[in-house]
Amino acid sequence: MLSLTWVRGAIGRRAGRSVAEAIGIAIAVALVVAIGSFLGVAKRTMTARSVEHVAVDWQVEAQPGADPQAAVDTVRSQPGVASALPVDFASTAGMSATTATTTQTTGAGVVIGIPSDYAQQFPGELRLLTGSAGGALLAQQTASNLHATPGTVVVISRTGFPDVPITIAGVVEVPQADSLFQKVGAPPQSQSQAPPDNVVLLPSAQWHTLFDPVAAARPDLVHHQVHVRLDRHIPTDPAAAFDAVTGAARNLEVRSAGTVVVGNNIGAALDGARQDALYAQVLFVFLGLPGAALAVLIASTIAASGNDRRRAEHALLRARGATPVTVTWLATIEAACIGAIASIAGVLIGSIAANAFSLAWSAIALSGGILIAVATIAGPLWRDARRITVAEGRSQPDRVWRHRIRVPLAMALLAASAVVFNRTSSQGYNLVLAPEGVSAISVSYWAFLGPALLWLGAALLISELALVALRRARRLTSRLLRPMAGELAPTVAASMRRQRRLLARGVVLVALTIAFAVSTAGFNETYQQQAHVDALLTNGADVTVTSVSRSGLSADLVARVHTSDGVGSVEPLAHRYAYVGTDLQDLYGVRPDTIGAATGLQDAYFSGGTAHDLLARLAATPDGVLVSAETVKDFQLQTGDQLILRLESRTGGEPVPVTFHYIGVAKEFPTAPRDSFLVANAEYVSRSTGNTAVDTLLVSTTGSPRSVADGIRSITGTDATVSDLTTTRQIVGSSLTAVDLGGLTRIELGFALVLVMVATGLVLALGVAERRRTFAIASALGARTRHIASFVWSESAYVTLAGLLLGVILAWTLTHMLIAVLTGVFDPAPERAAVPWPYLWTLLAVAISAVVVASAIAIRLARRAPLSALRDNAW
Amino acid sequence: MTALTVTDELVACNDVARTFGRGATAVVAVHGMTCHIQPGDKIAVTGPSGSGKSTALHLLAGLDQPTTGSIRWPAIGDRGVLRPGPVSMVFQGPSLMPSLDVLENVALPLVLAGATDKDARSSADDALNRLGLLGLRERLPDQLSAGQAQRVAVARALAGAPRLLLADEPTGQLDRANANLVIDALITTATDTDAALVVATHDPRIAARLGIRWTMADGRLSVGDQCSA
Repeated sequence: MLSLTWVRGAIGRRAGRSVAEAIGIAIAVALVVAIGSFLGVAKRTMTARSVEHVAVDWQVEAQPGADPQAAVDTVRSQPGVASALPVDFASTAGMSATTATTTQTTGAGVVIGIPSDYAQQFPGELRLLTGSAGGALLAQQTASNLHATPGTVVVISRTGFPDVPITIAGVVEVPQADSLFQKVGAPPQSQSQAPPDNVVLLPSAQWHTLFDPVAAARPDLVHHQVHVRLDRHIPTDPAAAFDAVTGAARNLEVRSAGTVVVGNNIGAALDGARQDALYAQVLFVFLGLPGAALAVLIASTIAASGNDRRRAEHALLRARGATPVTVTWLATIEAACIGAIASIAGVLIGSIAANAFSLAWSAIALSGGILIAVATIAGPLWRDARRITVAEGRSQPDRVWRHRIRVPLAMALLAASAVVFNRTSSQGYNLVLAPEGVSAISVSYWAFLGPALLWLGAALLISELALVALRRARRLTSRLLRPMAGELAPTVAASMRRQRRLLARGVVLVALTIAFAVSTAGFNETYQQQAHVDALLTNGADVTVTSVSRSGLSADLVARVHTSDGVGSVEPLAHRYAYVGTDLQDLYGVRPDTIGAATGLQDAYFSGGTAHDLLARLAATPDGVLVSAETVKDFQLQTGDQLILRLESRTGGEPVPVTFHYIGVAKEFPTAPRDSFLVANAEYVSRSTGNTAVDTLLVSTTGSPRSVADGIRSITGTDATVSDLTTTRQIVGSSLTAVDLGGLTRIELGFALVLVMVATGLVLALGVAERRRTFAIASALGARTRHIASFVWSESAYVTLAGLLLGVILAWTLTHMLIAVLTGVFDPAPERAAVPWPYLWTLLAVAISAVVVASAIAIRLARRAPLSALRDNAW
Repeated sequence: MTALTVTDELVACNDVARTFGRGATAVVAVHGMTCHIQPGDKIAVTGPSGSGKSTALHLLAGLDQPTTGSIRWPAIGDRGVLRPGPVSMVFQGPSLMPSLDVLENVALPLVLAGATDKDARSSADDALNRLGLLGLRERLPDQLSAGQAQRVAVARALAGAPRLLLADEPTGQLDRANANLVIDALITTATDTDAALVVATHDPRIAARLGIRWTMADGRLSVGDQCSA
């Protein structure tokens, strides 16, 4: 009964403070719930996304001599197999087709036999571009090489047997040609660099008619596979899913007594995702944990700000006969009630913010919230209650020793952080170890120590700096405050000096929240920047149109792309091959004056000048060529050196020697390979070789790259491949890029803003509210609003400005540390951190607004009802 | 009392009432209070606890506003100019700024009144010297006993040489020797500066040292020959 009365009175009478305490705890709980729930969803999404584009889960290859039908039967009896179809492969020496008056002939190729329901069972493996799927199908590039269309008769060579004519029913794209033509069971390094150029797909019956004789005579030219679709009832965690599918594949190999080998495509996809999942977990710890710890710190600071009043109330209880146990119990009940209400609110807010609900994380956060409340509210009172006498209760423990060791301790922590950081960011250090194909996957948690020590050391140092500035620089403080406080400046400075612990705590909170917000935003911005750079480098532009034939894109097609909906600018690119000595390299003929309009050229792509400088140099030097750093090194080139390159002719004849002058280094270039390539003037290349073909169009868009690409695709048909930046970004980036970091940082940045608002506004307002009586005394002595305001504004300005300054310095250090330690999530690695200016301005506006509003409210409160505040006898 | 013109009058209080709260829970702390205070008056306000003495002093100091009736300060000006400067008050409870030391606390009203920091500190030192508190000038309020804190509060009230000095139970927490010291300081300063002194007290010995005795009972003020209501 006493408990109920006490709690109702304590919470009801101090509703404002109870709400403030609850807000602090609710934020901490919400952040943990949001990040935790998000992590669970992120892993599930990673698993789903990684297997989404896997067309064939397993390619089970019958070993030489094994019965293909027995392999099919074995696979079909394997648990978890939803569908299994036989697929047969045969090598051909070449194909030919006669169209109009010309006959085109290809080199070696592959003829595949597929069942009639293959496209239905494995819809991602083949995409019909034109014609009918029922009959012989030609791959897109083969159709282009043979100038074949549906109805064309293609003659297939059979080693040791007569050539056979087949009539083409349709043309298909093979989007996952790399995995379709993999060497099943071979390690990655011994896989073919590229899938075959010439591919024909025949109905199974026709294939057997044509190639069973070949198989009998030359079994080395034929192999048989079973393509498998699993039921995909796999765990949601990528690592567990990888273990499950890999284990099942091995089980199949064992059950077949070695007659089959499994090409585990789904396992390969999950192998990448499990590493991403671990990185997501790492990011959770690196980015989420400091936020949660900060939220707890703010919650405890808010709770602690009301402890003097609680202490006085409990002292009254004790004076009236309550035992320490009763007092502690009452404090615990009050804290638990506030903690429970706040935690439930936090779970709701966190689940809404993450758009997900995790029972486990909610339970953890709920318990944590109540514990925080009890520890921060009831803990100090419990400590007081254990003191035997009033005198003991009043005495302050001697904390001098703490201050003496703080600076050396802070320095030691920062030095240790630097040492750990140096080791964990050095080259060759792997934060996440996920050996390809191996079940074991681990994180080097040692790397967490660097930032953790930096947080601790910086917090201590900031606290000490804030204390020393107020303790030692009273005259300077007074001088700085004079514009704000006038003649009252020395008094305000003296007051601030005496309250330096309270103010230093405020400075630490503001600095840490600013550091958390800025470093998270900086990391996120850098990550997004690099993901965009990577996608742009790979794709070339918002949309890239690439000719599938050697004759390049027709002028008509180029003109139609120009007028397509959503197209901004179009930049033609001539892609040639050039011999540099005996080394065959890609050469890109560009228009240096205009290429920048269609694609982003970063300064980091070039060496020895900015992108603008190097392209201007190229424009001014018609026979100039930009060369990769590797080539410069290999051939000991000096700027201005003459280079005679042999350019591959379009007709396939002898290479044409063309003279260039080396003018600079290009390290990266859109669509170019990363090792060695050349960039020259398109006009000069065309004139020198007599070949004006345009191979690629770089297209900048005014609308969504994906929809513009769809529009262009309808123009190009089968003559060109069209890729867009959005899709490329999903393909080249990890699943982490595609969904997860964006969501994680959205939560982080949102909460960071709230934390900054609370740290600056609420903590300041509570600190001032706690001193209402002080301001009431000043008011009773004749202080005007401007006098009270000079106290409040001076304190606010000190806490905010010092916090912002020190927070930004810490943020700068943390951002660079995070980027260096988490370098594994970047591709390519950033040369410098990106600055998220819009977020920083928002952050600054939020911090200043919170301080202004809180200060204004505090001044208003301080001016109101001074007599009632004076009647309160607490100091 | 000597004959004085109306403009010399420090306080003119006419049928003043002060009610806290509304409706059924309303408490009338003071009602029908009519009184006048002239320069040099030394008034003891006595009465039992809860009789309205503190509220009456707050009203006279301009810290609180009457619910009905009027209070004017003809010789001083309107409510806005009373503090800091012409009117000082010593509060019943602790009233020192915890974040300022003794000297700064005493100097604070002077700084608020526009004195330079140097002049304010010099005057504060004089006031502390008068009460024998110079040795405590650098201490913080939480390093003082309740009696010492009350004497510092008195020193603060005296430092500005006010024309009207109000003290609410200034000796309530002091032993007799210190109580005498405080009352001596208050009376001497008031006499030297021709200020009016109003002291709310339970102590008949202190009341006896002041020339005029007013009595409060159930919110009503009896002012002897000036008695009203």
